[in-house]
Amino acid sequence: MVVTRVEVTPKKGPGMRDVRGDVVRRQLAADHNISVADVRSIVGFLIKSEIDSGAIALRVHDLFADPIIEDGATNTLLLSNKEHFPTCPSAVVTVGFKAGVTDNPGTAASDGFQTIFPASQNASISTYITYAFFGLPEDVEVEWLAKTLHNNLIQRALVADQNTCTAGQWPAIEYTEKPPQEFEAPLHVDMEIPDQDLIDLSETGLLALNLEEMQTIQAHYRDEDVRAARIAAGIVADAPTDVELECLAQTWSEHCKHKIFASKIHHIDTETGEDSIIDSIFKTYIMKPTHDMQNEVDWLLSVFHDNSGVIAWDDDWSVCMKAETHNSPSALDPYGGAMTGIVGVNRDILGTGLGARPIANTDVFCFGPPDWEGDLPDNLFHPSRVFRGVHAGVRVGGNESGIPTVNGAIVFDDRYIGKPLVYCGTIGIMPRRLPDGRESHIKTPVSGDIVYMVGGKVGYDGIHGATFSSLELTEESPSSAVQIGDPITQKKMVDMVLEARDAGLITCITDNGAGGLSSSIGEMAEYTNGCEIDLAKVPLKQAGLSAWEILVSESQERMTIAVKAEDCAAFDALADLHEVEATPVATFTDTGIFHVKYEAATVAYLPIEFLHDGVPQLQLESEWVSPKVEAFVPPQAANHADLMLRMLARPNIASKETWVRQYDHEVIAQTAIKPFVGVKRDGPGDAGLIAPIHGDPHGLVISCGIAPRYSDIDAGAMAAASIDEAVRNAVCAGVDVDKIAGLDNFCWPDSIESVKTPDGRFKLAQLVRANRELERVCRAYRLPCVSGKDSMKNDYGTGEKKISIPPTLLFSLFGDHPDVRFTATSDLKQPGDRLYLVGRSHDELGASEISFMLKESGEASGVGGTPPQLEHPERNLAMYRALSTAIQTGLIQTAHDCSEGGVGVAVAEMCIGGRLGATIDLDGTGHESLWARLWGESLGRFVVAVKPEKEHAFLAWMSGQPTTFLGEAVEGPNLTICDGYDEILTADVEAMVASWQGALDMTGGVE
Amino acid sequence: MTAPKVAVLFGFGINCDHETAAVFNLVGGAAERVHVNHFISGERSMEEFQILAVPGGFSFGDHLGSGRLMGNRMRFALRDQLHAFVAAGKPIIGICNGFQVLVKTGLLPGPNAPLPDFVQRASLTLNDSGRYEDRWVTLEFDDNSPCIWTKGMTRMDCPVRHGEGKFVMPSTTDFDALAAGHQLTVRYVDPATEVGSGMTDEPLPFPLSPNGSMRNIAGVCDATGLVFGLMPHPEAVYAKWLHPDHTRNTAPGPEHSEALGAWEGEGLQMFRNAVEYVKTNL
Repeated sequence: MVVTRVEVTPKKGPGMRDVRGDVVRRQLAADHNISVADVRSIVGFLIKSEIDSGAIALRVHDLFADPIIEDGATNTLLLSNKEHFPTCPSAVVTVGFKAGVTDNPGTAASDGFQTIFPASQNASISTYITYAFFGLPEDVEVEWLAKTLHNNLIQRALVADQNTCTAGQWPAIEYTEKPPQEFEAPLHVDMEIPDQDLIDLSETGLLALNLEEMQTIQAHYRDEDVRAARIAAGIVADAPTDVELECLAQTWSEHCKHKIFASKIHHIDTETGEDSIIDSIFKTYIMKPTHDMQNEVDWLLSVFHDNSGVIAWDDDWSVCMKAETHNSPSALDPYGGAMTGIVGVNRDILGTGLGARPIANTDVFCFGPPDWEGDLPDNLFHPSRVFRGVHAGVRVGGNESGIPTVNGAIVFDDRYIGKPLVYCGTIGIMPRRLPDGRESHIKTPVSGDIVYMVGGKVGYDGIHGATFSSLELTEESPSSAVQIGDPITQKKMVDMVLEARDAGLITCITDNGAGGLSSSIGEMAEYTNGCEIDLAKVPLKQAGLSAWEILVSESQERMTIAVKAEDCAAFDALADLHEVEATPVATFTDTGIFHVKYEAATVAYLPIEFLHDGVPQLQLESEWVSPKVEAFVPPQAANHADLMLRMLARPNIASKETWVRQYDHEVIAQTAIKPFVGVKRDGPGDAGLIAPIHGDPHGLVISCGIAPRYSDIDAGAMAAASIDEAVRNAVCAGVDVDKIAGLDNFCWPDSIESVKTPDGRFKLAQLVRANRELERVCRAYRLPCVSGKDSMKNDYGTGEKKISIPPTLLFSLFGDHPDVRFTATSDLKQPGDRLYLVGRSHDELGASEISFMLKESGEASGVGGTPPQLEHPERNLAMYRALSTAIQTGLIQTAHDCSEGGVGVAVAEMCIGGRLGATIDLDGTGHESLWARLWGESLGRFVVAVKPEKEHAFLAWMSGQPTTFLGEAVEGPNLTICDGYDEILTADVEAMVASWQGALDMTGGVE
Repeated sequence: MTAPKVAVLFGFGINCDHETAAVFNLVGGAAERVHVNHFISGERSMEEFQILAVPGGFSFGDHLGSGRLMGNRMRFALRDQLHAFVAAGKPIIGICNGFQVLVKTGLLPGPNAPLPDFVQRASLTLNDSGRYEDRWVTLEFDDNSPCIWTKGMTRMDCPVRHGEGKFVMPSTTDFDALAAGHQLTVRYVDPATEVGSGMTDEPLPFPLSPNGSMRNIAGVCDATGLVFGLMPHPEAVYAKWLHPDHTRNTAPGPEHSEALGAWEGEGLQMFRNAVEYVKTNL
């Protein structure tokens, strides 16, 4: 084997650019205000193969370099070539992957190499990129530059400063691979040790188990029946193997078992005097209401127990949705963490029922302020870098998978500096029945079925992800928990799996996410009550992984699929066709045992019941004391026109268009409402609307709500506001309010009282209040939660350095839409259209965006007060039904909900979308203060526009609902808002556009 | 004749195969998604089909340049089948990533001769913006183009969704030769211009031209007019409800069609043209 280096750089010439270099140059300007004259890029390939360099050199332009736009060279560094680089750069940074880290261009290049050199069987290619900087300001250090261009958890960088460059000593990354490890036979772990040692064992082993859980495991191995069975099975009788302990730690992790939501909570409310016991928040406030609703409708096909919740969409198709978070990995490596987040939740859809096709993504991010200038704790990236990395990861993951991103949000708060929240959701579709007659939402495995691992191989990447995410982030957080996704490997697998499904070859399927094979096979083994795995059959990326590592590795792009023995040949043939790795690794049994072997040796022998139901219920304390928040007192004098422009530039309100437009939102040719709408396609969309069956306008609405600011006053209000926002957004598109389903994704700071978390009782009480509101509002809205997830350790550091996120609920919604041809968007359509406020304003300025803005600027001193309440949700439902049906019947085509910034911002955004002015009078919208009516964020409100000729019919339709005339769209350039005889503000629409669009455009522009 | 059979390629990261098959079916084609490896292995033959479509997507992740690795598989493994397909006068379309693939196999723009030589003469490179973007653009078609796919089409709104859509060739004489043969079939234009007079060689500013393409080229055909590729996605505007202006009641398109009543979008005509061409000529 020889290693050949190939380097490629863009040709320069008229109209030709080095775009990769341009992007770096623009980002340095946008993020750091550093001006560089020019940046050039070189892509490098290190090819380890049997083919000699001379033969490769002849084919450089067949594979590595494009003959029209690129120059390539073999076994030389292009920087030394005066023809390509006539002037000497001031600095050079070259970045490659660390050994063992997923290198997608390298994998693709290896595949392409095989096409050119079919004789080469074992070629392995790694890639790097070199940036040469010209005219770099002298005060910019090349080490700093390298730091901004790579992440040392997964990448390595070499640099050359001015002197080294002048000397012509270019940095050269060499081919490296992870040294093979020796397979280590499973260890026996002595659990007959004192309690403190049990705790230490859990902590040093990253098991994330508490003392009681460790004692439960200890007790299991003391049980005489257990010991007898283990002797019979030929495994150590009185102690767990490391395989078993790791398997239990994964399965019992907070991440997998949701122990806080399942805990028994002693809840005290110091205000009402309540002192009660809650036996599982999940069962009480989420599961029970949904099951009650399931008894009343026929379209809730599958809730809670599968990888996503499934509803019947029509007679032929069902749809499902799941949302996940990938917060901890995204904090450590924003790009890889977010990418594995989105492709991971795609697999949840693929693993639903007998396999659903992912057809739409949603992405919701919570970041620190991108312009943050304060201190940053060690080991944390600047929020702008987190933002860029997460966005890029989700963009690549979604776009390359061919799944449109149809809905999302980006929220900013200082406290997300400690832990960004990266919510990724996916909607799937599947035929109600397969060609063989089976209902596709029901898994049908039986004992004897063969269990395949399909997709990728297993490596060191992603070991301990589940337990790691159940711990707080520290400076020592492990890099093995970080990985990069490979969307194309996954796309091939999706194509193959869906063909296998339609051919009737699949009896059971689930994804490999947290906990790897231990979780995926372990969970599926519950269906037949047993399985037998041979870990020696699992294909590996690197030789030498020990048994426990193979079992719990979270290497990406893998599904676990059960196939009947007689169908294995057909299944193998499909895998071959699609060039997908598929290996039988286990068999389902009915022995009651999760039985793991490595070749002939038994390495784990755990009763299924103990594995899944053995974890002891947590007992937790919760105590609610209203937080004291200084009241928001609006300033006496205010220039509301100025406030409007400032509000539109608030990161929480400002346009995210430059970011969102980088997501493909239209692949599959189904997107009937785009993320940005209006005459210039740049006004805000409220909800996604898709018509996934080609030629048929039957639609599906996708929306979300998120309102973490209100948690500062009451997490219950936060939850109610999030749900209401999701429903309002869906109503704006004309959803059928009688067929909507929701997903609750809770991200909370640690809520278990301890030395590390002295305020755990309060944080748990926040969780209790949020869930009680969730139940109340969902019952009133007839809105079942069909799937959900919680991430309960969103803190950074400990003690005084600790940063905890604000308790955050993302509520996602998907619902039926009878006909996408009859829908509405937020942009004003025609001058003369009549504007109405639907819903009522209340005096609810607590934790409003305006209060935060004025507090930050020093114009107000607090944000306290009443946050938006949802006193009569059942009345809202009637109003929502009236409005939605008005849209479905074509009475109105313009609707926008009031959220951040209230009526004022809603109307401004409608003007922006339509590039029209409006004249509004707030007189008649209630008796509250002008501030409350203009900027307040009361729930259950919309601004709608109706054509004059339909006004009468619209008002008749809305009879009985709070519908207040506001004013008219006008041809002129201004939005004018009055309150009776008082003119409150006049704002130029183009000025509003500039404020709204300028704030978050971090692209550096296009020259 | 019976419905023309359309092979819609899929596999390895192609991802617009479902909708591309659907639009052919809406206009009287009989489309089937065929995995690239089915043709390579010989299990299926291109001879069975009258139309070949290479849809959009991210074949092989666009690593080493968009369309390059898929282009290589086709150039090396499917060369004879493709040659025979073109020689038989059967239409081929490449959309977005499919266009990139056809350019890198050398099928587009191809030689100034009726039969392909699989020599790459142009390329599609990173957008000047450095960004992948999904946005709507306005396209105008060359009336005099020999392209059978675009007959009767004048101007349309269409989404682009790519990061590597800048069409480049080494020299102006290359462009002049294609222009002379009316092979610069479709270009980005300023919607404010008069229909029919929007095409210009001067690069339009972003975002009128979403990528900085030389001569604002959005798509080209080969010398015969049978092989055609473009970066925008006509299949994604098969219905008016996919047009951003449909809630403003101004989505353009035919007043009536058999396929979708009053709701046919502007993009469907391109696929109908090919199906009708096959019915008439093959």
